[in-house]
Amino acid sequence: MHHLRRLGVLARHATLAAAAILMAFPFYWMASSALKTNDEIWQFPPTLWPQTALWSNFAEAWAAAPFTRYLLNSVFVAGAIGVLQIVNSGMMAYALTHMKFRLKGLFTSAILVGYMVPATATYLPSYVVLGKLQLLNSYGGLILSNCVSVFSIFLIRQAFLQVSHELVEAGKIDGASHFRVLWTILLPLTRSSFAVLALITFIEQYNNYFWPMLITKDPNLQLVSAGLRGFFVEGGAYGLKWPLIMAASAMTIAPLIILFVFTQKTIIRSVNLSAGASKG
Amino acid sequence: MKLARLYGDLQALLFTLPALVPLVLFWFFPLGYVICLSFMEWDFMSPEKVFVGFDNYRNLLANPNFYDSLRVTVLFCLGSVVPIIVAGLLLALLLNRKLGGGAVYRTLMFSPWVTPTVAVSIVWSWIYEPDVGLANNALQAVGIEGIRWLEDPNWALVGVLLVTVWKSAGWSMIFYLVAINNVPSDLLEAAELDGASPWRKLLNVTLPLISPTTFFLVIVQTIQALQAYDQINVLTQGGPAGSTRTLLYLYYQSAFTSFEIGEASSIAITLILGCVALSLLSFFMGRRTVHYT
Repeated sequence: MHHLRRLGVLARHATLAAAAILMAFPFYWMASSALKTNDEIWQFPPTLWPQTALWSNFAEAWAAAPFTRYLLNSVFVAGAIGVLQIVNSGMMAYALTHMKFRLKGLFTSAILVGYMVPATATYLPSYVVLGKLQLLNSYGGLILSNCVSVFSIFLIRQAFLQVSHELVEAGKIDGASHFRVLWTILLPLTRSSFAVLALITFIEQYNNYFWPMLITKDPNLQLVSAGLRGFFVEGGAYGLKWPLIMAASAMTIAPLIILFVFTQKTIIRSVNLSAGASKG
Repeated sequence: MKLARLYGDLQALLFTLPALVPLVLFWFFPLGYVICLSFMEWDFMSPEKVFVGFDNYRNLLANPNFYDSLRVTVLFCLGSVVPIIVAGLLLALLLNRKLGGGAVYRTLMFSPWVTPTVAVSIVWSWIYEPDVGLANNALQAVGIEGIRWLEDPNWALVGVLLVTVWKSAGWSMIFYLVAINNVPSDLLEAAELDGASPWRKLLNVTLPLISPTTFFLVIVQTIQALQAYDQINVLTQGGPAGSTRTLLYLYYQSAFTSFEIGEASSIAITLILGCVALSLLSFFMGRRTVHYT
């Protein structure tokens, strides 16, 4: 019996290790390909690790396109959107959970409807709207058009619903304004939900491609995904310079992998919260 | 009293405005606008939009591309949602009970979800390279002839789906890990006392109890699949021969490459109706048929 159990654990380890290696292998392959010479990369059969690691590929790829600019654009836009979403989701969720006003029911159901509509389907009309506002090809357009998320509002609303009404009422009786209640009572109690919101929004926006690509044609405004794709198509001549393309991809992915390693717990907790938020 | 209520309304307005303004501008107004545009003929440039009634819808229903992309969309949804959920469940079941090093596996398997789809799709297009790419090398190593992954209409969709599943399987695994953890242990112990085998416990206790998670994942992943764009754009751009052109990609092409705004809008409406139907299904059916604890 004892042996059988040991064997079972061993089999589980073997299966999981195989799965994990399979899942992580594309990243390894990217790194190893990024270090090869253009000759070695076409070799058959391929080498698992380059004979001599060509670290200069990274510098060369970085210089071949304005990647610094792309990266800064992404970090700036994603950061700004994160801050804005924290503010407007917090305020909206507060109004929906702890304020009394006419049309509250209408607001809640309107947001619910917003939750159902696929964002991509509205890209065409939103593009027209952004054009009318003269915001195509601008940081303002990139940030404003993404600065609200129905999901974020739901997430914070869910967190605020858990906070007891007595606590909020006590604050109001003490004469605290709505802003004070939100800032000094609710925010500290729901910090973890806000952390999740900030992190998820940042990752999502850093990775965002479709919409930013549509509304920015100016290369100076491109986010990192669009910039990388441009490099892949033009600079890399559709796959003739694979080592450079892999080096550029690695440099795009690296910041997120690092972020993930340090904030894993929060990101994984987000799964719990988003399951809760979606149940309304 | 009336004044106090008005004051309350004004304060609420102040609190909702920062979210409401962008929400109206980029969400609710566009929604109404796309409905209007679906009854118009327009090419982005000309100042005049011509009202054409249901013509766009009629043309769409007569367009063979529409049916092709509908078929691709259904295949894409099935081919991504089912494997993502099955793989996520299997991995979670393996990882669930205390296991040394479990956290390392979890991290490795979840990491694809965090990374930009465009960047990892580019990595995969290198893996799919027909002559010296990793995928064909692996196939040849076990004696199977290589595939022209992204250039063969029979395989391109499989190639795109593999990337999609690879990226999201770890995500659904995390959901299942949480759900399995929440299965009350006394139920499992009771089943064990009754002499239930591990297989029976899984089938009769765990699976029914985690069905809300399964249901949630099916809906969310289907909506994700309906909106998949990045990996298709990088890997195949809807080709070859339209074999990876989903409804969303058809919409994108007719809106932003052929500027048939009316046609594009009618496709958008189809997509919206699909997603709304799924959400409503999850809302009403979910409460009735799925086992919540």
